[in-house]
Amino acid sequence: MPDELATYAENTWCPGCGNFAILNAMKNVVGKLGERGVAKDRVVMTAGIGCHAKLFDYLALSGFYSLHGRSMATAQGIKLANPDLKVVGFCGDGDAFAEGIAHMMYAAKRNSDITIVVHDNGVYALTTGQRGPTSAHGFKGPSTPRGNTEDPFNPLVLMLEAGATFVARGYVVMVKELADLIVAGVMHEGFSFIQVLQPSVTFTNRYEEYNRTVERLEEPASTFDEALALARETDRLPAGIFYQIEKPANERALYGDWNPVANHPTRTERLAKVKALIK
Amino acid sequence: MSRDRFTFIVGGKAGEGIKKAGSSAANFFASMGRHVFQMDDYPSLIRGGHNFVAVSTATREITSHFMKADLVVGLDKRSYEAHRDHVADGGVVVYNSDAVEDGQGIGVAMTSEAQKYPNPGLRVGVSGAAALSAVIGLSVDEMSAFITKEYKRDLENNIPFATDIYRAVGEKAGGKFPLDKGDRERIMMTGNQAIALGAAAAGLDVYLAYPMTPATTVLHYLAAHDRELGVVTMQPESELAVINMALGAAAAGARTAVGTSGGGFALMEEAISLAGMAEVPILTILSARSGPSTGVPTYTEQGDLRFALSPGHGEFARTLASPGTVREAYTLAAELLELAWRFQSPAVLLTEKHLSESRMTLDLDIEDAAWAEPLMHEGGGYKRYLDTEDGVSPLLFPPSDELIQWTSYEHDELGVTTEDAAAIALMHDKRQRKSEAVTDHLRTMRTVNRFGQGDTIIFTYGSTTMSVLEALRVGGIDATVVQPVYLEPFPVWELEEYRDSNAIVVEQSAAGQFESLLAEKARIDAGARIRRYDGRPFEPEELAREIERAAG
Repeated sequence: MPDELATYAENTWCPGCGNFAILNAMKNVVGKLGERGVAKDRVVMTAGIGCHAKLFDYLALSGFYSLHGRSMATAQGIKLANPDLKVVGFCGDGDAFAEGIAHMMYAAKRNSDITIVVHDNGVYALTTGQRGPTSAHGFKGPSTPRGNTEDPFNPLVLMLEAGATFVARGYVVMVKELADLIVAGVMHEGFSFIQVLQPSVTFTNRYEEYNRTVERLEEPASTFDEALALARETDRLPAGIFYQIEKPANERALYGDWNPVANHPTRTERLAKVKALIK
Repeated sequence: MSRDRFTFIVGGKAGEGIKKAGSSAANFFASMGRHVFQMDDYPSLIRGGHNFVAVSTATREITSHFMKADLVVGLDKRSYEAHRDHVADGGVVVYNSDAVEDGQGIGVAMTSEAQKYPNPGLRVGVSGAAALSAVIGLSVDEMSAFITKEYKRDLENNIPFATDIYRAVGEKAGGKFPLDKGDRERIMMTGNQAIALGAAAAGLDVYLAYPMTPATTVLHYLAAHDRELGVVTMQPESELAVINMALGAAAAGARTAVGTSGGGFALMEEAISLAGMAEVPILTILSARSGPSTGVPTYTEQGDLRFALSPGHGEFARTLASPGTVREAYTLAAELLELAWRFQSPAVLLTEKHLSESRMTLDLDIEDAAWAEPLMHEGGGYKRYLDTEDGVSPLLFPPSDELIQWTSYEHDELGVTTEDAAAIALMHDKRQRKSEAVTDHLRTMRTVNRFGQGDTIIFTYGSTTMSVLEALRVGGIDATVVQPVYLEPFPVWELEEYRDSNAIVVEQSAAGQFESLLAEKARIDAGARIRRYDGRPFEPEELAREIERAAG
């Protein structure tokens, strides 16, 4: 069966890179969303800049290949303009928690109805291995030859504290579960955050460690504090939905059932409104 | 004595209702069918300091306030001291005798009078309308109607208070300056209101902005009237969020604009370049304050011209234009949104605090607005970056069965990243042809305004145009004023005849950015220059004298 979601772009990820699994999961996500009544033409994507973002060229979905750190801002703009679309924003850990951290915190705070998938490999791979916002203390890279002097962010804790209404963690080795998480995130009305543990085989090959520590999380925590406690665990790394609550999404809170693109007026309609206003 | 032109200055502390006193007077003059220009001068604070509003009115067109007032009302000591020299020959100064001892003019115990009523701090500003009513010879009933219309609330206290002030002023100067009615009542608005309405008239769907004076009132106005107009407004977390969200919204098909001042625009530049590469239609309102950096947030300057000419890194089509009047702010905002969509590129409307926040009467034909309607793709085989003759590729928005990929990377026609030498050159050529198409299109449009007749040639642009035109009127000076509305692409084809004109260049810039642009692009060397860069707009009588001196 021909892969309708494939493109002619040459794939340049390192063999064994975790990004392959995310790409494959996304192809499954599109099919699964179709089964839930979300047709492919309503699913659009954005990407930041980095190894993760090459997915944009490899996946035949409409969208916007944005700037470093702005994928989630672009995604919110698309959603604001046409709330009938389902927007999945891909980000690297540098996009999400260095260059674009303010956008992440605010997207969670305002509960924008988008899904953000963070390919967290703990390193700036495309720029040859500098430390990132989730790199461990002591991490050695070309910009920190004596080791990272900073402690890493905990993305799940940040997103929980910022107000995300869907918080999950996936692992690239668990592709089917990852696809299910993204589907659940897309179907969730509100801001969905999915951290994906995605080893870089060249710079941060943590497969062995993750295979030992990642554990399936069967169901979400029942309280916020319990979710925070789960997110803070380091000896074992739960993978699944940590937290999910219902809260009005920002777009709906702003303008209800309005749709700026679908409700775009005719010239006559708009001029009549302008005239009425200055009367 | 009836005066053709009348100026009212009211000053006091922030929080005393100075803006309200000024705008009420302006509304009253407009209701008489007169032309009005209102300039608000206020510091960047919420309480205290010194605010004043200068309102000038005439039975003929007027495009500036004057700083020689027929009536000065000072609510506190500082405003009396600041404005006692701003009174015209024969003019009247009304000061607060509770705050000023031994003042020259008419002392009225405004504070003690106000203390007879509740909320005396809020009451004192009504003195402006009361003193004005007395000086222009309104009856108590006419004054009461004026106050009722403008202040609406708390009339049982406001009208008795105003009557006290009115009587005190009336004893000394009642009916001193009766005003003739004008020909007909006109609407009155600020430049920022006109920009908001012009963009709305062109089909705006979404407006995003982070607060930054003097652009902020575009956001306020659209937010206040979002549902009436059908324009969604939002204040995101930063200018970076504003512009990147805006590009996402535009790529989804929404006619989108953003607004800011110089500092915010600096933050937006990376995404302006993205709009150039990804070919996203976006209108940016850039309202300049006195700079550089944080500068003087609530004062005016034309120091951002060079910055606005070439925002963003790399080579792509940019369009920049600046309105000369509030009326032109309306038509130009619409025109620039249309151009952004016609050419799928960033367009910038450059203005200044003096136009953004000044308020004037105008004749406005709402129909005189362009409509942003993009070239749309039909059928299958969509390519976002289809290589076309004029470099403009048809648009398509999701949901669609076609693949629509916008991108910041260099790309092939489908939008897939490329590093191929031939593909890079092909896309550069496409974008260059688009730049040329913008210029060709501007050649078919009105890009330069000319006013008046006379051998003296004056070049100016933006809000300074209003000051120059009023200076010529008040000075009775014959001159030809040339105002390039478009600044990028610069309409050199319109300007060849002025090469040896020995022109006077008038601008609000210390470095003379406009003068250097004229020399660089149009090879017009200025014969003389008049610059102001103290944050204040030109004063027409002073400017008239400077023009006469420069003209020799």
